[in-house]
Amino acid sequence: MNLSLRKSEEQAINEFDQVVVGNSLTKDAWRRLKKNKMAVIGMIVVIIYSLLAAFAMFLPIYPYDQIILDHRHLPPSLTKNAGTLMMDARLKDLYFKAWKGGSLIVTDQQSAQIKEWIALNETNKVWDFCLAEGQRQQQAGTFTFSAADQRTIDRLQEKIDTEFLINVDKVFFTDPQTHKTHNLAKMSYEEVLKIYADLLGMDVAIIQEQVQSEVESQVLNNYKATTPDLSAEEYAANLVLELQALGEKGVSAIAKTNVLGKVKTNITRTAERELKREISEGSAHFPIDRQIQINSSIKADITATKKHDRRYYLGTDYSGRDMLSRIIYGGQVSIAIGLIGSLTSVLIGIILGSIAGYLGGKVDFILMRIVDIMYGLPYMLLVIIFMAIFGRNIMNLFVALAMVSWLTVARMVRGQIMSLKNSEYVEAARSMGASTGRIIFRHMVPNSLSVIIVYSTLRVPAFIMQESFLSFLGLGVQAPFASWGSLVGDAVNGMTLYPWKLIFPAIAMTIFLFAMNFFGDGLRDAFDPQSKNQL
Amino acid sequence: MTKYIINRILGIIPTLLIIITLSFFIVRIAPGGPFATERNMPEVIKRNIEAKYHLNEPLIQQYGRYMFNVLRGDLGPSFKYKDYDVNYYIFTSLPKSIVLGLWAMAIALTFGMSAGIMAAVRQNSWVDYLSMGVAVIGISIPLFVIAPVLQLFFAMKHKWLPTSGWYTTGEGWKSVILPAVSLSFAYFADIARLTRSSMLETLRSDYIRTAKAKGMKSSTIIFKHAMKGAMLPVVSYLGPAFAGIITGSIVVEQIFRVPGLGKFFVQSSFNRDYTLIVGVVIVYSVILIIMNFIVDLVYAQLDPRITYK
Repeated sequence: MNLSLRKSEEQAINEFDQVVVGNSLTKDAWRRLKKNKMAVIGMIVVIIYSLLAAFAMFLPIYPYDQIILDHRHLPPSLTKNAGTLMMDARLKDLYFKAWKGGSLIVTDQQSAQIKEWIALNETNKVWDFCLAEGQRQQQAGTFTFSAADQRTIDRLQEKIDTEFLINVDKVFFTDPQTHKTHNLAKMSYEEVLKIYADLLGMDVAIIQEQVQSEVESQVLNNYKATTPDLSAEEYAANLVLELQALGEKGVSAIAKTNVLGKVKTNITRTAERELKREISEGSAHFPIDRQIQINSSIKADITATKKHDRRYYLGTDYSGRDMLSRIIYGGQVSIAIGLIGSLTSVLIGIILGSIAGYLGGKVDFILMRIVDIMYGLPYMLLVIIFMAIFGRNIMNLFVALAMVSWLTVARMVRGQIMSLKNSEYVEAARSMGASTGRIIFRHMVPNSLSVIIVYSTLRVPAFIMQESFLSFLGLGVQAPFASWGSLVGDAVNGMTLYPWKLIFPAIAMTIFLFAMNFFGDGLRDAFDPQSKNQL
Repeated sequence: MTKYIINRILGIIPTLLIIITLSFFIVRIAPGGPFATERNMPEVIKRNIEAKYHLNEPLIQQYGRYMFNVLRGDLGPSFKYKDYDVNYYIFTSLPKSIVLGLWAMAIALTFGMSAGIMAAVRQNSWVDYLSMGVAVIGISIPLFVIAPVLQLFFAMKHKWLPTSGWYTTGEGWKSVILPAVSLSFAYFADIARLTRSSMLETLRSDYIRTAKAKGMKSSTIIFKHAMKGAMLPVVSYLGPAFAGIITGSIVVEQIFRVPGLGKFFVQSSFNRDYTLIVGVVIVYSVILIIMNFIVDLVYAQLDPRITYK
């Protein structure tokens, strides 16, 4: 269709009425990429992942760093909510104890089976069997819990039915004189402080003093975390410097956040009392989203949900955080590390490698000695020391990984350029007076692009793996942040007991890396100028 | 060529000196010393310990002393382990890491090259998709997932292979299989992919077409003509791959309890055991430099277009 349109525009250039349509490398590559099904699927998957990661904050998922200790190690479930799962876990434990104590009677054969499972460390099978058998017997009426066990179950059931989570979204203050309503978060520190003092019925000066000392210890703790091993006097001196660096504004900003948090805690407590009363009266209907009046001048928007009504489709981790949202937010970190890291390292590698390869001689010798030296220092050491000096955060991880990973690209590019620099077209370009930069970046780099592209698609997964390797050793992304690597690393130890913690992040990671690899391969086949007419 | 080799060997000496210097100073810039974890040490004892390890001297004097000792082949006493010196720890554990690495490399090379060549020759067939699929799995699953899973399946469930250990303990050579296989997986994948991509490129070149036109057997074309050219990227990958295998064996050594060098590297970095870190770094560097040197020579042998002046 397109062709026929073009035909009318183009002039035939030879006696056979043929039309020669100009074709750029990228257009040609795109046409060939579209032919490769796996590459297209890979590209789509990569795009979906990137979109999910980029818009993670708008997705309806639980916060990735919200810790609910009651929900530790919950298995994934599409149908059951957290409360049911908690109850199941408790029941499994109780039935197993009953079997051990002899009150849950099973056949000798089953008993032998259970013992064999225990010997093989198959804890989950034992629990599942005990639960199924216990519930069957309880229905049949041949087994009842002891009074103490029954009390435990009842207490848990009550907890599941009544506990809730309160979130204070906004706090409003109505000025008694002007009757204007302000959002507390937008007021100044002094005003917030005064409101807090009124709320407690205490003197402003006392609270201000208290807040001041809190801020100081906070700053001191932060400083101690970044530079340990100083004497007490040095810390005292540095504290003064740090506070000076923060300035009046910085200090009052920290203080305001602290006080605001305290106000919210206070309101939460009031709201909790009120809701508990409502629940005992039976008038509460979750989820709750409303405004409550704390006293004559303070109002607050609160949302409350039943704590154990949450659903964890992919289970929870060791401190009760939702795996689904951790995997999505972890993907954000991992993809960012993979893409940004490999882009920087490939850019540095291309520039240095092609300069070394083309210029040869002294430049080559010096650059390759530098590369040799960098190779000689195992990257682990550089990264460990880097993280130790500048602190373990994600930005440092980027820098440390990019810093040490351009070496291989540089070597490969150098090898390519060296084998290309004696070729005729380079000579032709040189004899026509092309500058060195033009010869390198317009002629030789595009011709070695296939190797570079394959290598950079190898780099993205490699970066994600390196990051996960560091996380495994405890040097990568630190909690509460997550990356696929740290999630997998955390899960390896308990993998027989809590397999979902390992499986889901590993699957998420593997699918992405799969897609990335197929996409990269497709790109390679598409961009390779030497295979232009052979597909 | 001879001149080039001599130049390279001469070039190694300053490289090594720079590496030693760099690692010596980098380690000391990092905050926290080797004795920082022992809290509330009386001042006198602390001073005595520092005097014993010459930590109270100016940095430049420490550096001179250390350099002099290294040139004599003495890597100094360890700051954390009091029983032996650094030389002892390194040279009892290094052979195990090297043997493990060589096994892993051999496995990766054999299987990677054959998978890559088959995939390239039968491009876009099921052979291609299967071997590239396996290769992608190798790249996609981290070492520390593969290793425990293999351990769980082959050692714990079926008890075909031992869970941990080394030649010298218990089950002998069988205990090398699992760590070597799990270590080689990622490198198998890389080698297979590199072989495939460069093989594809070579198979499209003119001299292969000429050989085909002459009516040569396709096996002769692949193994005699194409292989030599297609090996180039693989060869240049081998140097860093060997480095990766040695350092990457840290995880494998932890999981399979192989008494190798990796353990000392991580532990000493966390402990700030200055002499042990620098010692391990020196040993690694020597191995890597030698490997890169060999790779360069092989590269020049394989590709006649490259000229070393």
